[in-house]
Amino acid sequence: MPSRILARLGPAQIGSAALLCAVAFVWTTPFLWMVVAAFRPESGGSRDMASLLPPLQPTLANFVLAFESADFALYYLNTLLVVSGILAVQLVTISLAGYAFARLEFAGKDILFTLFLLQLMLVPPILVVPNLTTVVRLGIYDSLLGVMAPYLASAFGTFLMRQTFKTIPRDYEEAALLDGARWWQVLWHVLLPLARPGLVAFSIVSVAAHWNEFLWPLMVVNAPEKRTLTVGLASFAAGAEGGQEWGLLAAGTLLVALPLVVAFLAFQRQFIDSFMFSGVKG
Amino acid sequence: MTRMIGTLAAAVAVTLLAAPASAATKIEFFFPVPVEGKLAREMANIAKRFNAEQSDVEVVAVYTGNYDETKIKAQAAMQAGKPPAVALVSANFVLEFKLNDQIVPLDPFLAAEGTNKDAFLADFWPALRANATVDGKLYAIPYQNSTPLLYYNADLFKAAGLDPEKPPQNWAQLIDYATKLTKKDSERWGLMMPSEYDYLGWLISAFTMANGGSYYNSSYGGEVYYDQPSTLGAVRFWDDAVHKYRVMPEGVTDQKAVSSSFFAGNAAMVILSTGTLSFVRENAKFNYKVGFVPGNLRNAVPIGGGSLVTFKGLPEDQRKAAWTFMKWLSSPEQLGSWSRFTGYFAPRQSAYALPEMKAFTAQNPDALIAVQQLQYAQPWFATFNTVAVRKAMEDEVQAVLSGKKKPEAAVKDAQRKADEIMLPYVQSTALTVGTGG
Repeated sequence: MPSRILARLGPAQIGSAALLCAVAFVWTTPFLWMVVAAFRPESGGSRDMASLLPPLQPTLANFVLAFESADFALYYLNTLLVVSGILAVQLVTISLAGYAFARLEFAGKDILFTLFLLQLMLVPPILVVPNLTTVVRLGIYDSLLGVMAPYLASAFGTFLMRQTFKTIPRDYEEAALLDGARWWQVLWHVLLPLARPGLVAFSIVSVAAHWNEFLWPLMVVNAPEKRTLTVGLASFAAGAEGGQEWGLLAAGTLLVALPLVVAFLAFQRQFIDSFMFSGVKG
Repeated sequence: MTRMIGTLAAAVAVTLLAAPASAATKIEFFFPVPVEGKLAREMANIAKRFNAEQSDVEVVAVYTGNYDETKIKAQAAMQAGKPPAVALVSANFVLEFKLNDQIVPLDPFLAAEGTNKDAFLADFWPALRANATVDGKLYAIPYQNSTPLLYYNADLFKAAGLDPEKPPQNWAQLIDYATKLTKKDSERWGLMMPSEYDYLGWLISAFTMANGGSYYNSSYGGEVYYDQPSTLGAVRFWDDAVHKYRVMPEGVTDQKAVSSSFFAGNAAMVILSTGTLSFVRENAKFNYKVGFVPGNLRNAVPIGGGSLVTFKGLPEDQRKAAWTFMKWLSSPEQLGSWSRFTGYFAPRQSAYALPEMKAFTAQNPDALIAVQQLQYAQPWFATFNTVAVRKAMEDEVQAVLSGKKKPEAAVKDAQRKADEIMLPYVQSTALTVGTGG
């Protein structure tokens, strides 16, 4: 019973709840606006485009137009391929590299690890030309593989896995080694299951980042049938000299963002647990 | 689950390996979408039409973001050894591409066909020629062009006792009309103009030219005239419209806000690109009219828009194919059809003599006003490092519009910054002559 709950709360708690609601409202305003605008009938130059009130007569016309404007099914597939391809390879490379930095002893380990971390300091745009040159030399320009290539290893992921492995007591491994397990069996059967929260947290960050990426896919891909969602969305929503078709833009953006939003809502609890465990912030 | 992975793997294989076998020379055409989304679809149709009409060249139309992203992509692709055969670039980037030695002159193609630059350009509107040529050679073909244009709400004119057939002719009238059309408490602005990056520089140069000035040296990329009286007067006009007469909103206004306010009846007069004309025609729910941008000492507007260029380092067959496509794209028929679709004006004068074009302008006489204004058009701002030099001025004018700076100090600071940015170029060109190194 809400009234009984309210009665038990002190004014300080009610105050902080109200404050939290206000902050939550501010944070969700762009999203609310997008949903409302996506269902609003086109109003000729967007007279009420700034309104957050739901339209009296919601329409799906904007979505129909969005689907006509761009081949969304194909763009979803391309984005899915890129995101899952990157993640699949990343999980292997960061686990192995993380294990090496956490457990193995070799000359120059610390210098190598510092160099690895230094990559995190580079701003992606300055790498566009060198990366593009490499991609052309590898013969994977204008392909989805080219979009994935620079991300197949991840400095951030390696760092995260190294830290995660380091928190796991060596006793487990030693027990396995006594039983005759090889290093890769230890990694697969002992360390990785214990490091799951770290892997999940990294996966979320990786998927969200590559799902939303725009500049690099725009640089690598030429053929229209290889566009990812972000590039496809921009190809019909960008405007400079004309006015903006706000409804269409909102509908398209909603279509691009929806899968991630749904996934987040569905796995909210696991996500939060993983982040709490691994100390990663999105 | 395994099956799903199998399907995905198959899809990867298909997407990664698919390459149609064809004898035609395949070339890439980079294009930005500067107006709105349906243009991207139309551009794909144009490429399809070209591919169907002949069998020697196969064009792949590649959407490349906005003008700035197109520039980044074209330059990155070129450095990576994959130059695009043809790209539609902002007309004022042509100079910079040439100074960076990234595009090739088109004169050899013309010579091979027994003609020359002057004969080829004769059909193009005179104002467009300067931005297409560098050091006497032709580097670009104008494709979609615009100028600023005055749009006004005729219903509000009538309500304010003004004659809707007579738009303001000069700055004094512009202020006078705007004052009559403004309603207190920001309910309605008499005049609105975009002041975001790019648009602001374009419009300030328009006002400078209308004030008798030059804004920049159109034949040398190392000089701008930001602190000259004609430019100062232009910045003062904007400042006065905001802070003295209060007919224009304070601060930085982007073009979407300007067009939305115009459609909502919250702005009586706006100055926007002619490229917006189709959009206004489709969305204005009142009687709108268009007129020339009012002059002060003279009528003058800069051109804007995009031109076709071809990049350096192409294999011979692609080089030839690029020219074939550029020539086809810039025929009067193609330019006319693109102009009708977009609202840009057609860069070739002969395009307006075609029957389809005559029928169109008869139905939409406002499209002709934009063309008539071309007699007053001037070339578009282009220097060494164009964008940075442009922003040096825009940052200062935005400070003026926000009430943080006075026009006199602003133009001086803008000039100083611009000079610093152009210094390397100036030192390696104009200042090296006769100094013996």
